[in-house]
Amino acid sequence: MDRMPATLSAAAALAMPRQVLRPESLHPALWLGHQLGRHADSAVPSGFAPLDAQLPGRGWPRRALTELLLPHPGVGEIRLLAGSLVAAQQAGRLVMLFDPPVNLSAFALAALGFDVEQLLIINTRSRVIAGSDSLWALEQALKSGHVGAVLAWLPPRLRAERLRRLQLAAHAHDGPAFVLREMSAAQRPTAAPLRLALRAGGADVLAVRVLKRRGPPLEAPIKLELPPVLSEAARERVAAVAELHAATFVNLAA
Amino acid sequence: MLWIALHLPLLSLETFAATLLNELAESALALVDAHHIVSANAAARALGVKPGLKRATALAIAPQITLGQADPARDAQALIAVAHTALAFTPSVVIEPAPADAAPHTVLLDVQMSLRYFGGLPALRQRLHAALAPLGHRLHTVSAATPLGAALLARVHRELDCADLDATRRALAQAPIWLLGPGRAHWEALQGMGLRTLADLGQVPRAGLARRFGEQVLSEFDRAMGQRPDPREPIALPPSFDTCLELFARADTGEQLLVGAAVLLTRLVAWLSAQHAFVRRFTLAMHHEQRSRRDAATPGVTTLAIALAEPSRDHAHLLVLLRERLAPLQLPAPTLELSLHAEDIVQRAPPNTELFPTPASEHEGLTRLIERLQARLGPEQVMRIAPVSDHRPERATVCRAADAQMRPVRAARASAPPADLLVRPVWLMQQPEPLAERDAGPLLDGQALRLLSGPERIETGWWDAGLVERDYYIAQQPGGALVWVYRARRPVAPQTPSWFLQGRFG
Repeated sequence: MDRMPATLSAAAALAMPRQVLRPESLHPALWLGHQLGRHADSAVPSGFAPLDAQLPGRGWPRRALTELLLPHPGVGEIRLLAGSLVAAQQAGRLVMLFDPPVNLSAFALAALGFDVEQLLIINTRSRVIAGSDSLWALEQALKSGHVGAVLAWLPPRLRAERLRRLQLAAHAHDGPAFVLREMSAAQRPTAAPLRLALRAGGADVLAVRVLKRRGPPLEAPIKLELPPVLSEAARERVAAVAELHAATFVNLAA
Repeated sequence: MLWIALHLPLLSLETFAATLLNELAESALALVDAHHIVSANAAARALGVKPGLKRATALAIAPQITLGQADPARDAQALIAVAHTALAFTPSVVIEPAPADAAPHTVLLDVQMSLRYFGGLPALRQRLHAALAPLGHRLHTVSAATPLGAALLARVHRELDCADLDATRRALAQAPIWLLGPGRAHWEALQGMGLRTLADLGQVPRAGLARRFGEQVLSEFDRAMGQRPDPREPIALPPSFDTCLELFARADTGEQLLVGAAVLLTRLVAWLSAQHAFVRRFTLAMHHEQRSRRDAATPGVTTLAIALAEPSRDHAHLLVLLRERLAPLQLPAPTLELSLHAEDIVQRAPPNTELFPTPASEHEGLTRLIERLQARLGPEQVMRIAPVSDHRPERATVCRAADAQMRPVRAARASAPPADLLVRPVWLMQQPEPLAERDAGPLLDGQALRLLSGPERIETGWWDAGLVERDYYIAQQPGGALVWVYRARRPVAPQTPSWFLQGRFG
């Protein structure tokens, strides 16, 4: 007991004279509560500067799962991810899609910059295989480490330990790995270090809420301008109608 | 001349154990021929079972012992695999003819010409051991200057090197006389004459020996000592590969079959390595037990053809593919025998081993991953999509099963989308979803859709009975998401819906 104050004061004496030691400079896994975390591997830029600014490492993490929660397919998730997936293709690597919920349109993907021939689509749920689960294929792809990027639609109500297994498999995967899940999964904890909720925020606008990240919590959703679907004229028309609606609303209120 | 003799003292037991499941292979085993034990493994010997006992006696001493029938044909198949493996080191490999009363258990390699290439005898011996390790046999390796001398010495020495003829003769002089085939038949008489080693044999008058025991003894003695020429005929590789394995217990599940199939694959890999080839496809046939003689409906053989996207001779990879294919297989009857046939091979240089991942190694790993996925899920579940020139959205994209071989990981061309491309949503409904209507406008999930852009008229397909006449609009849900809807221009009946959801902008 009597030695403890001495040790403490010794430690204080050591720490005092120099300037404050920065813990974040010691190891990539260390950061202060108000800072964003970092990754040992460089992240993959998403192509959206406002989003990159809020992600640890300034982009989608490699060797880890990124969990995206969305209410239904078609809120703009493909346009959000297209940048990083196309970059993986242009680096000569394969992109795999697991269990897309609806048919994909080759023309639309080509318009987003994809090389459609290099997309591999894998259906794991079309038939039940005894003694195995539908995540086997995804796990194999992540473990192999030869796939450039992975995009997987997970079955609903997935147990947390299954996701943890995938997260462990993703350590071998040098590239972004996105898993898309239903919105209600937000109630349950996740093994993925990054979890975002996507919601449509208007025509060609995506509202991204950061539910989990290595860093301080972010309250306000990030509004991202997606590559537009509507033509210039159509957008002007929409804006005019929106103004009109607002004006009507104000008038009525008055 | 320098010969290496590979002697496999436990070959019969090992080939028998290979047909058993793993846990059984560790227990007490013995082989029976003509109601007598001919060999027993260490666990069986510990129980007191030794060669020469009657079968009934052995069962009385150790009731839990597993008895198998000695089968020279089975041993010969295993020995051929050893010989094929050895062919990777020298072109002249000889299966030593057996002594009169036993199956051949010795393979001879003439390695004089290979020594320099493989970096000397110790290095060659090490590589030989490494190559033979997957077959799982206990080995005696002896090198000597004469083929017969090496074969004889390998039966008594676990490891021995005789660098030249003199050393060989010295080693043989110490060897017991029963090693010679005829010597065993006359063992009693020779012992009675006080002849115990080959050196003793060399000192007695030759004429007397020949008169008393026949020319055979002298001939064998002279060939072993290098005093008489001993030409050997090397084995030749068969152009196609066939091997079979009779299972000791009937196998009902794929997992049990896999144990036997692994043995066959090891032999296949040995055959491939001998000719620097890679297999492109092979067939595993499972011979079933006929439940009854009248049961003609049960097929006698189930065959499983495995085609590889990338020719391979990697045992682990072939086994994984086989496992995935065997797992969903429903066997009509228990399997008694497995056979493997391979013909379609490719000869090419072996791949370079690399320390760090390169595009080539990634290419190979990716092919294997796709092959594995296809084997497990079925080839039609691994797909690519491709655009088709058709204005009807549901026909503008085709899915086809991806071919693992034509997998293109080349540097992707920077494909700039044509500027005049029509706006299409990423997600397309399998079947257009009928929408409810209110005030002549479409409803989705009970909420009115706002039409933002359109109409885009698609009217085509009159020539192939897939006529569509539709006006497409981009519409917005109240939440903000964009969807693609259309109005059918000619409703078939008044009650049928006219608005449909075609796709969503993902």
